[in-house]
Amino acid sequence: MALLLRTVARQGLCSSRLQFGVLYRHAVPMGTTAKEEMNKFWTKNTRLNRPVSPHVSIYKWSVPMMMSISHRGTGVALSSGISAFALAALVLPESYPYYLDLIHSMSFGPQFLAFSKFALAFPVAYHTFNGIRHLIWDLGKGFRIPEVYRSGYIVIALTVVTSIGLAAM
Amino acid sequence: MAALVRISSVCHRGVSPLLFRSSSLIRPLAVQKKDRDCPYSISAKIHATPSNYAGSGSKAASLHWTGERILSIVLLGLAPVAYYYPGPAVDYTLAAALTLHGHWGLGQVLTDYVHGDFKIKMANAGLFLLSTVTFAGLCYFNYHDVGICKAVALLWSK
Repeated sequence: MALLLRTVARQGLCSSRLQFGVLYRHAVPMGTTAKEEMNKFWTKNTRLNRPVSPHVSIYKWSVPMMMSISHRGTGVALSSGISAFALAALVLPESYPYYLDLIHSMSFGPQFLAFSKFALAFPVAYHTFNGIRHLIWDLGKGFRIPEVYRSGYIVIALTVVTSIGLAAM
Repeated sequence: MAALVRISSVCHRGVSPLLFRSSSLIRPLAVQKKDRDCPYSISAKIHATPSNYAGSGSKAASLHWTGERILSIVLLGLAPVAYYYPGPAVDYTLAAALTLHGHWGLGQVLTDYVHGDFKIKMANAGLFLLSTVTFAGLCYFNYHDVGICKAVALLWSK
């Protein structure tokens, strides 16, 4: 991000007269890594007790923004679920079929079972399809704004259809 | 990483040479000379690590990024395999791939939101512990219980 700002600012500074070749003839690779620069930024600003400018609290939410944080949210949720499952496997005394039968003996309605299947399938499907969208971005494709929105809507549609399909199985 | 690649689409003013021209960027001696000659020069300090740059940088971060993407693709391929060929081989592979994918994913979340040397160390230690317990639990489940594939099948059968 800082790199983008610096290069854009530089373009603005020396726009018309200079050939752009001059711009990078004086480029010097920095002695610090991006990670070190980030750490320097944070230590300096926390030391000076500077407040962070409002960003997510004031910026108008867009579909790509919501999908991005949902990708992270579903990822964290699924990971936590898997960890909880693994922990339960280590701690609980009985076997999996025992607990499964226990839940079924509690005689929830079929709608509850279908709903819980949907609730499990939905984050998996969303994270998977949006993950594919991310991998396509990593190939360098689909960054134009209309493409971002289109791929986003396709991911949402596929998620809903897949979750309903899986819940019905 | 993807953001760096896409800079050229945002600034259509020849920023790509800035990023991809390797040899012309590594000329500290030439830069000093130029500074005296050209009064309008600005030293553009950028993070440029082309693949032939034999400087202090290591490829660890870049390799980690690539490993993350490869693992994601492996996990994607595992899903149909798990459906059509359930069994212990897929169970343990799934346990490993899921745990590692989650570990690396949560690692990125921590990198984004946790700042300060000590906090970063503690958070990463906690994450490592969590991932270890997760993998141990999944392997335990695969060995002593029905296994991941069968568990999903049983859950869905009712």
